[in-house]
Amino acid sequence: MRLRWVRGRDSIMTKAGEHAREWLGLDDAGNPIARVIHLDGPMETERGTFRAVALDRDAKLIRLLPLPPADGDWLAVIGGRVVGRAAAPLAAVRRAEAAL
Amino acid sequence: MAGNPLDLIRNIGITAHIDAGKTTTTERILHYTGVSHKIGEVHDGNTTTDYMDQERERGITITSAAVTCEWKDHRINIIDTPGHIDFNIEVNRSLRVLDGAIFIIEGVAGVQPQSETNWRLADRYNVPRIIFINKLDRTGADFYRAFATLKEKLDIIALPLQLPIGIEDSFIGVVDLVEMKAIIWEGGDLGAKFHDEPIPEAMMEQAKEHRQILLDTALSVDDAGMEEYFEKGDVSVETLKRAIKTGTITGAFRPVLCGTAFKNKGVQPLLDAVLDYLPSPVDVPGIKVAVEEGEEEGDHQRRIKADVNAPFSGLAFKIINDKYGTLTFVRVYSGTLKSGDSVMNTTKDHKERIGRMFQMHADKRAEIKEVHAGDIAAFVGLKDTSTGDTLASPEDPVVLERMAFPVPVIDISVEPKTKEAVEKMTLALQKLAGEDPSLRLKTDQETGQTILSGMGELHLEIIIDRLRREYGVDANIGAPQVAYRETISRAHTETYTHKKQSGGSGQYAEVKIVFEPLERNSGVLFENKVVGGAVPKEYIPAVEKGIKVQADTGVLAGFPTVDFKYTLVDGKYHDVDSSALAFEIAAKACFREGMKKASPIILEPIMDVEVTTPQDHVGDVVGDLNRRRGMIQNQESSGSTIIVRAQVPLKEMFGYISNLRSQTKGRASFTMQFHHYDPVPRNIADEIMAKSA
Ligand SMILES: Nc1nc2c(ncn2[C@@H]2O[C@H](COP(=O)(O)OP(=O)(O)OP(=O)(O)O)[C@@H](O)[C@H]2O)c(=O)[nH]1
Ligand SMILES: [Mg+2]
Repeated sequence: MRLRWVRGRDSIMTKAGEHAREWLGLDDAGNPIARVIHLDGPMETERGTFRAVALDRDAKLIRLLPLPPADGDWLAVIGGRVVGRAAAPLAAVRRAEAAL
Repeated sequence: MAGNPLDLIRNIGITAHIDAGKTTTTERILHYTGVSHKIGEVHDGNTTTDYMDQERERGITITSAAVTCEWKDHRINIIDTPGHIDFNIEVNRSLRVLDGAIFIIEGVAGVQPQSETNWRLADRYNVPRIIFINKLDRTGADFYRAFATLKEKLDIIALPLQLPIGIEDSFIGVVDLVEMKAIIWEGGDLGAKFHDEPIPEAMMEQAKEHRQILLDTALSVDDAGMEEYFEKGDVSVETLKRAIKTGTITGAFRPVLCGTAFKNKGVQPLLDAVLDYLPSPVDVPGIKVAVEEGEEEGDHQRRIKADVNAPFSGLAFKIINDKYGTLTFVRVYSGTLKSGDSVMNTTKDHKERIGRMFQMHADKRAEIKEVHAGDIAAFVGLKDTSTGDTLASPEDPVVLERMAFPVPVIDISVEPKTKEAVEKMTLALQKLAGEDPSLRLKTDQETGQTILSGMGELHLEIIIDRLRREYGVDANIGAPQVAYRETISRAHTETYTHKKQSGGSGQYAEVKIVFEPLERNSGVLFENKVVGGAVPKEYIPAVEKGIKVQADTGVLAGFPTVDFKYTLVDGKYHDVDSSALAFEIAAKACFREGMKKASPIILEPIMDVEVTTPQDHVGDVVGDLNRRRGMIQNQESSGSTIIVRAQVPLKEMFGYISNLRSQTKGRASFTMQFHHYDPVPRNIADEIMAKSA
């Protein structure tokens, strides 16, 4: 299903104070039903440097990896569930649309 | 040259592994931009940028050469650099002052050892790059395999903007993924004629696939472009180029083009890409001002923006001496300067008057009357300015970030064939060393011999050849020696009293100095912790000088002492008998005594060695490297050849090439470059000390 995509939040505060970029996928009625999201930059913690790669509905971190995952760190999210990952936002958009 | 708005200027370098085709590409660029009517060839010894005799005879680039050309209303200043590791200083200093670079790799071999080194160097100076995969006409060329080595070896996001049409003999042109068209060269006219065509049917699927990757990657750095894409299902060429430029400058990804310089295909789109994607002087964040001593480096450092109306600042990055005198190449970062003006050399803190100014075209020059921010020009008449020094207006006397110079690892002794030529030789060598920061000159304190330190055997061979041809000095040289270093391995505090107070004017000075080891590559640090004037302020520089001079001759075998800190903690003086000289003598003696008790050690250069050998000789090669105290790092096979990587002490690598050739019947080759200094094993230390005794 093709959606209409618009810019979402460009700054999301998470527990780690991370900065994120987001695109929202709107249905015909203009309701957001999907989004793709990316946490910018690796985050520094006491235990080392990690990439944040998965989020729950509120964009809280749910997983940290030492290296960016091979399948990319842009997440396609539908209804709070991660349905796919990609290295670039456009590719993540295609994942989200394919999953609908 | 006045009047070129800054955004219509590109200052770029061409860098690559040896023989990748930098000079050949530069030669095409000069032809297509109308600077030269004929195309010179490296093997004919008639290219513009390889103008030295040694370059023309050997078919390699030795010194970087700057040329200027016009393309589509832009001025492009290009520096062609050498690929051989011995001349790496040329790449280093060029990348330091350039805003962007064309990075060439070969279509057959892909990323090679020197490509990696130069890539890291460009990383260090944050130079935006576009990649050109050259030599697609050669037998065995494979765009996709060469492309894959970019990710494997350099760990980058490489982004093809083109795909080759045909390969080897049948390579005729490229698919342009930005504009989705084919560009076909017609042959004849030295490649000046080409035309656009629709993308060949057979390549359409593949082109679409790669264009999607291009859009995905490029638009990820351009949100407005993303919106345009969501609205229209595609973006305009203009938007896509803007996104590619943004990503190229930030380094988010690296655009890749391809062709064959030698067969004259692909060079014009490469020039277009230079204009479209590499930054002009105003597109980069500006050069950093050096940090004050003790200050941390980082984002807070002040940057000088390219602005013709700001006070003048520039960096001297290259010096050459020819029959007309000394030429100092300067990259201008801000302001305007006219011939006859005076500026400060803020690194050395003295005034310099600019005589004449030239725009350089390889070894030819055109006089100009003024220079502006963004320009690269050569000045005549500077008295004491070396490579890496900043020239700046007294209004804003900034010191720009210095350059890092490579460490010379090989020594040879030189002696003129006739006694009369001693002075002439010394003078000539001083000039050559003034041009080349990777060449050092010293006199052996015991034998009085002149010792040259350089990057490798080829480097020193070229210097000796230039000595003969340019300065008319025939010299005998000794066998190459390893440039060892000395350091200490534990802290020690030494007090030394220098006293001569019998009759006449006396001498008296006492110093108490703490010597401590530092990490490798820290150099020599000094701290003054004297309180209450135990050593009067005016004598402190004398103490520093004493240590500096003495540190050149280490206590074990006379090699320079490095990587230690000395702290002057206390001392005594005498109202009448103390003097700067007395303190210098005391400091020297304190160093000699103190260092001996601080567990001194000898360090040797360890080289990264890469041997490429046919499968059937791997056993011999590895065994031999082991015998040379080598540590094998890894082995990798590509087809029937194996690449063996090892770290081997330089001492064990002299004469390696002939040994390798005979062992493998000439089928293996190797490259090596300096990696780090390590302590030498006991038995070898004894050997070195016995020799120096
Ligand atoms: N077949 C083929 N040969 C090429 C191509 N480009 C360069 N060559 C040849 O490769 C050799 C080296 O080319 P150069 O242009 O000197 O290479 P370089 O990168 O400047 O080399 P250094 O400056 O010594 O590091 C020469 O013999 C060139 O003719 C190409 O596209 N195809
Ligand atoms: Mg060359």
